[in-house]
Amino acid sequence: MAFLSGSWAIIIANVLTPLAVLVFSSGFFPYKPLIPGLARFEDDSNSTVVPKAFDKVIFMVIDALRSDFVYSNNSGFLFTQSLIRSGAALPFTAYASSPTVTMPRLKAITTGSIPSFLDVILNIAESDTSSTLAYQDTWLAQLKAQGEHLVMYGDDTWLKLFPGMFERADGTTSFFVSDFSEVDNNVTRHVPDELLQDDWSAFIMHYLGLDHIGHKAGPQSPYMVTKQYEMDSIVNNIYTSMEQEEHLQSTLFVLCGDHGMNDAGNHGGSSVGETSPALLFISPKFQALKTFRQSPTDSHSDFQYYRTVEQTDITPTLAGLLGFPIPLNSLGVFVPELLDIWKLSSQKIHLLLSNSRQLLRKMKETFPNHRFEPHSNSINCETEPLPDVDMAECAWVQVNHLLYNSGGVDKDDLYPELESALLRFLKLAQKVMGSAASDYNLRNLLLGLVITFFVVLLSFPTTYTLLSRPGHAGTFFALSILSYGGMMFASSYVEEEQQFWNWAFTAWAFYLHGKTSIHPRCYTSSQHGLGNCHRLYELVLSRYGAVALLLSHRVLRRWNQTGQKFAAEPDIARTLLPSHRLIFWSFVALTYADTCRHLSNRCLSRLWRLCCFTVTAGAFLLKLSYVASDSPELLPETIFAPLRRMLGGGSVIIFTRLVLGGIISLVPLSMYSSKTPQQPLAMGVFSSTVFHDALTLFLITQSRATNIPIFLIFRLHADILASMTLTALELAITSLLVQYMTFFAFGGSNSISSIDLSNAYNGIGNYSVILVGILTFVSNWAGPIWWVSAARVLRLKQAQHERKAHMAVITFHMAATLMSVMAACTILRAHLFIWTVFSPKYLYAMAWTIVNHLTVNLLGEALCSL
Amino acid sequence: MASPPPSPLTTPLSTSAPDLPKSAPPVPILPSQLARIYSVLHPAALLSVFAARFPALVADPVSEMAQQLPILALAHVTYAMICLPPAGSDVSPSAPTSPASTASGSATGTATPSGNVILRPGKVGRRRTRDSAAGAAGASAWGAKLAPALLSLTLTTLLATPTLSILLILFGAPFTTHHVQTLLCAAHMAILSSTALIYVHGVDGPVWKEIWGCKRPGDAVWGGALGTAVGAWLGAVPIPLDWDRPWQAYPITILAGAYLGFVGGTMLGRSLLFGKRLRFDEGEESGKKVD
Repeated sequence: MAFLSGSWAIIIANVLTPLAVLVFSSGFFPYKPLIPGLARFEDDSNSTVVPKAFDKVIFMVIDALRSDFVYSNNSGFLFTQSLIRSGAALPFTAYASSPTVTMPRLKAITTGSIPSFLDVILNIAESDTSSTLAYQDTWLAQLKAQGEHLVMYGDDTWLKLFPGMFERADGTTSFFVSDFSEVDNNVTRHVPDELLQDDWSAFIMHYLGLDHIGHKAGPQSPYMVTKQYEMDSIVNNIYTSMEQEEHLQSTLFVLCGDHGMNDAGNHGGSSVGETSPALLFISPKFQALKTFRQSPTDSHSDFQYYRTVEQTDITPTLAGLLGFPIPLNSLGVFVPELLDIWKLSSQKIHLLLSNSRQLLRKMKETFPNHRFEPHSNSINCETEPLPDVDMAECAWVQVNHLLYNSGGVDKDDLYPELESALLRFLKLAQKVMGSAASDYNLRNLLLGLVITFFVVLLSFPTTYTLLSRPGHAGTFFALSILSYGGMMFASSYVEEEQQFWNWAFTAWAFYLHGKTSIHPRCYTSSQHGLGNCHRLYELVLSRYGAVALLLSHRVLRRWNQTGQKFAAEPDIARTLLPSHRLIFWSFVALTYADTCRHLSNRCLSRLWRLCCFTVTAGAFLLKLSYVASDSPELLPETIFAPLRRMLGGGSVIIFTRLVLGGIISLVPLSMYSSKTPQQPLAMGVFSSTVFHDALTLFLITQSRATNIPIFLIFRLHADILASMTLTALELAITSLLVQYMTFFAFGGSNSISSIDLSNAYNGIGNYSVILVGILTFVSNWAGPIWWVSAARVLRLKQAQHERKAHMAVITFHMAATLMSVMAACTILRAHLFIWTVFSPKYLYAMAWTIVNHLTVNLLGEALCSL
Repeated sequence: MASPPPSPLTTPLSTSAPDLPKSAPPVPILPSQLARIYSVLHPAALLSVFAARFPALVADPVSEMAQQLPILALAHVTYAMICLPPAGSDVSPSAPTSPASTASGSATGTATPSGNVILRPGKVGRRRTRDSAAGAAGASAWGAKLAPALLSLTLTTLLATPTLSILLILFGAPFTTHHVQTLLCAAHMAILSSTALIYVHGVDGPVWKEIWGCKRPGDAVWGGALGTAVGAWLGAVPIPLDWDRPWQAYPITILAGAYLGFVGGTMLGRSLLFGKRLRFDEGEESGKKVD
């Protein structure tokens, strides 16, 4: 039977989907093997030619230390700024390439290489140990190989990256973002002791508090400056010790951020704020260089303070200053400002030459066709527009030419020219190597694409019979998939995807308006509770439903500004609500009250109503306590102070678990407390609506406080849609549109930095990848999850074949969008924005496909229809 | 697989919309030579002036839009007066006898306005003076056309512009900023879409209900109005692109879309889609769907 085969096709299609994603990912995120082993000096004399400038290094990483936090007028780093003025600190802006999350950035800082995008996933699945750097060439490994001792305090990512590397260490977990002070006190308490010890040659600190403040409250938060003062006092302590302690006389102090943050305080993407952390080399010795700089400076909107260097430059610079060979995989260039610490020009040239030779080895590996030899002039260096590789080769030829002509490296008058030639080569080589495309496995990419195409084909026949019906819903669906597919090839549309869904939604509201204004009658008959046309609310909904839909959608659209282009503009969640706290809290209370009313309306038992009230009130109090600890600026001082006292201590975790337990137990409880015997069908309706309302309460708990009133708008939307008589196809389209639209309304975007971690640890005592992963997904996809459930309630009356049609339509949509993203990533794999725009989009497409489509949509449907 | 028709009113109908029996027929362009020529000339002129003034629009949208507004209004009223039958004029020769039959699209060629032009102000009953001599109308026709023209201009300013401003905001125009731009853009769109509609239909309740429900049969007037709206909606497409061109600023692309949409809609409405309606239910396929 054709019908049976249709539903089998859908099942096979959905089984094939994870396979397609897996195959494509394996080709798209190739494992980039680095050169194993440790670098050595080419000849033993090398270390004596350039004596090391420092014996020890204090390496202080402040997570998310954006450049302006140190350099600008409103910074709290007053002492550090005085060091810049005195010349003791050399300030830079260090370009941190995307992905701007901690683990890849630490890899870049320590190995000098540019880490693969796969590290983003590994960064989130933090317990993974496959990404360890224990066997790779880093400046830590080089120091260790010289028999030196290393100590480390702070972010335990270091301990995972370098197991067994440190003599003494105390790690703190970086994922409890709601803790602002404890993580840092845990580091600071070790500092005075370690400064007195003289057995280490590298002392690493990694402070997390500033990043946590960014995630929770943003860069403009009042906590931020306080934290900067705190960090500045630590810099002061360390610098004072360096001046006073005998054993710290020859110590280099590096202060840097691993990445920056955007205006919302998040990071992971490639906006200029995220890629511009501060970098300072500090030592009293630098005062002799007499490079006085002005500090503080005016704020720059592009965050480029002083000179911008690459983050990878830290590794070769440390190697040169501390006198060990440059790690094998480094793509960095020695920071030229620090060359002057050596008096002799020959030493400077020698240092740059060894850096050049190391980079040249990497280049020869990547470009085996280029020989980089002075006399094999296969290319004409005179012709102007050359590819970068050839330019680098020419620069190297020029270096050799100068070296050859100078007859060694001892003629003083040639040094400036040679130095600039070497730096020119180094810069070019770094540029070439930085933008060199990673080696995709094209076969797997195409195989994944073909499997996805097969999934599209499988779900097409069933969908086509629906779409080909007369009426414009099918046309709308087809056109929206086509335009979405085309959009995936344009980087700015990927960044601004919310515009597409908002735009499409207005058209859909227009369609619904045209449809319903044919017969403006009330269709909310008996099955919708008190549905009865005499009530004004429902009368308005049925007459002007589409207008109300548009109006509330316009509010929703402005709730969270997202994307790239307009992200910083004022919106409701970040601008309006914090400044109108009374309105904000009345809306939040109204949302909870409305949820409680929906829950308790379902049956009449008093016990049940009491339960509903208790659980809702508990959830509300819980949210209050979250707000009190995370974003106190939302609470008036009169409420905040007693609340803080009341909720002080570690009871929040237990409280959270109690509330979650209460919400979960509502569904079985409702079955028990509904006394009247009901028919199986009515019972099913009853339990799914109770499930929906309990789910609402859970999603509210998992949402940011400023997003809670959105659920009121959702209710209105659901009521409007319930008052319209929609076909299976129209319901499926509505459900899909609203799922995507609300994802962005909650502040989501296609950038890694918009992943909201503030509710990912609710009720979790110990870090667990699976639980944190689930909570992260729920708190970011709260809108889509709510609408999957709401659409299920709207579809309760659907016949069996209509449900299958629904599944077919959403499967087809999933497959078609996934295929367009995969095709875009395959075709544009050499695009400049592949790692900053298209790869994050593919990661999001994976989440939409595997979690939102397969788990939430399909598994939810399957479980509920059991 | 067929889902049952959900509502009793979506049964396929062969004639176009007898469920709206009082619907006015689609409005043809007047048959005179001048009207026919001018009805093509006007959209062409609109587009060429818009294209010529585009650099100035990009340079300073507000002042340019404000300057062009009276000229556009004048041009558009002239177009309506020359090419379209004014409100109250009897479009169909057999109107009083069988209103349902005139609703069908077949009335295209036969509709010949008799020239006796009477404005129907407000909701006062129709004053049908069909017997008045056609020759006497000659001079008074222009006088009779003036009243609906003035009415359409007044209503465009007082009603259509605020309504379209609200619609623009609902469809995503900035709410807290760019108020002047939105208002001026809405004024341009109101002249393009509503002036002719008001000139032709006056304040005829059933017709405006049809317009509210997007159920008008296709003609130059309704096509132009719908085209303006759809064009403006499509005009939002280039705004998010990161090309950083000055013409990507907010009202410019919307306005360009509205002009192009008006011309396209007018042309389609009077030719291919004449008499056809948008249908939103799963009934017979006719008309076009926006998107």
